Amino acid sequence: MPRQCDICHDARAIVRRPKTAQSICKECFFHVFETEVHNTIVSSRLFQRGDRVGIGASGGKDSTVLAYVMKTLNERYNYGLDLYLLSVDEGIAGYRDDSLETVKRNKEQYELPLLIVSYEQLYGWSMDSIVQAVGRKNNCTFCGVFRRQALDRGALMLDLDHIVTGHNADDVAETILMNIFRGDISRLGRCTEIATTGDGYVVRSKPFKYAYEKEIVMYAYLRRLDYFSTECTYSPNAYRGYAREFLKSLERVRPSAILDIIHSGEAMHVAADVQLPTLDRCERCGYISSNKVCKACVLLEGLERGIPKLGVSRTNAKHIEDPTANRAVDLVHFETLRRDALELRRIRMENKQTTQPEPDASCQRSACSCACDNAADCS
Amino acid sequence: MCDSTDSQEQQQQQEQPSGRKRATSKPCIKCKTAQPSVAIRLSVYCKDCFVKSAIVKFRSALSKSRKRAPVSRTKVMVALSGGATSSAMLRLMDDYQHMELKGAAAEPIYAGVVVGHVDESTVFSGYEDTQICAIATDCGVDVVVARLEDVFVPDSDQPALLELVHATIAPSASRDQFCVQLAKNDGATPGRERLRALFAGLGSATDREDMLDILKTFLLTRLARQAQCELLLMGDSGTRIAAKLVSLTSRGRGFSLPLEIGAESRLAGGVTVYRPMRDYIMKEIAFFNLWTKQRSVVVPTFTTGAPTTASIDRLTEAFVVGLDRDFPSTVSTVCRTVQKLELREDALDALPCIVCNLPAEPNAQVWRNRLTVSEAPNAQPALSNASAALVTDVKAQHQSPFDVTAHLCYSCQSLLHFAKPGLALPAFCFETYREHVKTAANSTSNDWHQRQETLRRQIEEFLL
Repeated sequence: MPRQCDICHDARAIVRRPKTAQSICKECFFHVFETEVHNTIVSSRLFQRGDRVGIGASGGKDSTVLAYVMKTLNERYNYGLDLYLLSVDEGIAGYRDDSLETVKRNKEQYELPLLIVSYEQLYGWSMDSIVQAVGRKNNCTFCGVFRRQALDRGALMLDLDHIVTGHNADDVAETILMNIFRGDISRLGRCTEIATTGDGYVVRSKPFKYAYEKEIVMYAYLRRLDYFSTECTYSPNAYRGYAREFLKSLERVRPSAILDIIHSGEAMHVAADVQLPTLDRCERCGYISSNKVCKACVLLEGLERGIPKLGVSRTNAKHIEDPTANRAVDLVHFETLRRDALELRRIRMENKQTTQPEPDASCQRSACSCACDNAADCS
Repeated sequence: MCDSTDSQEQQQQQEQPSGRKRATSKPCIKCKTAQPSVAIRLSVYCKDCFVKSAIVKFRSALSKSRKRAPVSRTKVMVALSGGATSSAMLRLMDDYQHMELKGAAAEPIYAGVVVGHVDESTVFSGYEDTQICAIATDCGVDVVVARLEDVFVPDSDQPALLELVHATIAPSASRDQFCVQLAKNDGATPGRERLRALFAGLGSATDREDMLDILKTFLLTRLARQAQCELLLMGDSGTRIAAKLVSLTSRGRGFSLPLEIGAESRLAGGVTVYRPMRDYIMKEIAFFNLWTKQRSVVVPTFTTGAPTTASIDRLTEAFVVGLDRDFPSTVSTVCRTVQKLELREDALDALPCIVCNLPAEPNAQVWRNRLTVSEAPNAQPALSNASAALVTDVKAQHQSPFDVTAHLCYSCQSLLHFAKPGLALPAFCFETYREHVKTAANSTSNDWHQRQETLRRQIEEFLL
């Protein structure tokens, strides 16, 4: 006999919910999933009416579901947000180019404007060329550091107030565990925050912070969302792999463990006398950094000078030399980006009635791949 | 015997990952002359230097805390399970207590040392009680013993227990409910039976291990109080502290965690706990016991011999040990992380959870319910009806169940989540609950006060 839904006691149950082990029907699953995200957004006061919010979109399951849910909630609860899709093209053939196709389809499906920024144009190096120079080891360091900055650059180009990313509860719990294993106390304190202000211009947040990865997959599957599911062609991060494997076993022993870890992480308190790094600005590109020169600039210099170990292994950190030698691409200074963003804002205020497509103005100056809405205007 | 183990150990060293340099070609790093016998992380020691350095490490661990709080007339209780670490700790403590006797000031450091032991034979068969006492008498110290079932012996003149009526996220209930009722604790049911029923009524091995920890901590602190010991030494090795940090985190205990594994923590009831073995990894303890001929026994747990997925504790232990093998400094790194964590300010005056007796963060339940929606889009809050029915139902039986959710910490809510109805909680749970109600009666906060007042009326007859 088919089981009844544990929540509405009406429809036939079709899934066992990973978080609570309840058997529930499709509609109730959509309801609880969306409401939990809504609760997270409301209780953390993530947005303000009129915020321009970029959805970090990779085309993968998390960000596709995020885009769908953000759009749905924005309409249902009338958040009053301007939503944008923001993608980073790392330049990985056979992986990112395919997933970006998905993002472009999402753009049509959800009717959201899309901006794609690429490593190639921002830094002059695609991941494929970096891997050629660096080898298969450590290339994730480059990708991670560059992506973070690329998203912030994209956000300034669109003059966004906020970027949301698809990090889910599993990712957060995994990061907490990893920071415990590595004794990284400053990150342990930071990684549980739902929103970070970074350099004070763009807020970044994770509305899926409490959503189980399995439920996100379930949601995408049941809603028949169009997403891209292939692992990155370059090697996965080995140390994170340990934490991930452990977390999966924990989840099997006790399904609530993922949420419990996040709860613990939030409740932990770093002793007052522990020294935490102070945040400053990079003297080269103006990006937020805890050192004089930010990690991205160090890595970039290593690439330009043919010593890719620079910035990857600790001993080489001192050998930073010439700020601008042989740059393949002139890295746009963050101050310039911020000035442009303010200018955009001013123009927008002036012509409030006529809605201008946003990305075009930024394209003239910045390294935008012109996959944005009005590609023709960019040239 | 030692020679044969030496060769065994050399074999072990040869089996170490080939990536690391075999250190045996170098002499002992302490005396720089003798052939080394053991490698701890990246250093090699000869037998004598190893034992000496283990002793010195213990002395400096205790001396540091002694400087912070002078202890001339303090009595110390050493918690002894009989396992390798606590046995080693007892031996080291014995040495420490008498180390200055050799000098001019012939006075022991502490006013007295007592061994506290919790007898778990009711739960675990094949328990070597006599051997454990022998370990203590080897050092010539007195032993006080509590039995696990003692938690059902009432602490005061008001013998009552809290009995779980209802503990679940009921389908379509808008929030968790943990309803209990009072049950007489008149000794009609023997403590042994109640204890076995307690463990049988819990939902999983993880929960049973959690409960066992809670009971042992409670009994040890009570033993210490009864023996007038202000200090309680717990034998948690570094390996164990690292595993515990991960498993406590995984069980949602982040709030009270510094009290459970910190180097020094002050528990309720005025007992201060030290964990001086935190600087030793299991391997060091094994070799110390071997070379000082220190006896120890195997202490069984609920998951001894079970697969790694049997419980969270078992899983984290296996994982931490495995990670330490691949990344040799994991244990010490994780232990350093523990040192950098401290109690949040609001934990200092938070009410203790009635089960684990550690600070419970307020609104734990609100947090969980916000993130785990279990009701239909337009459903009426089902709780009011459900609890109303519950109340009328039991009123007929002259009982009055009440909700203790607000008195449970986040993790103990999980602990009781899958517990069977009818489960009787240890006597101290009722005692703590009664304390809460008394505190609330004295407080002036209206809302909280009102709620507590209703609760108080329910148990009025038990209040002094």
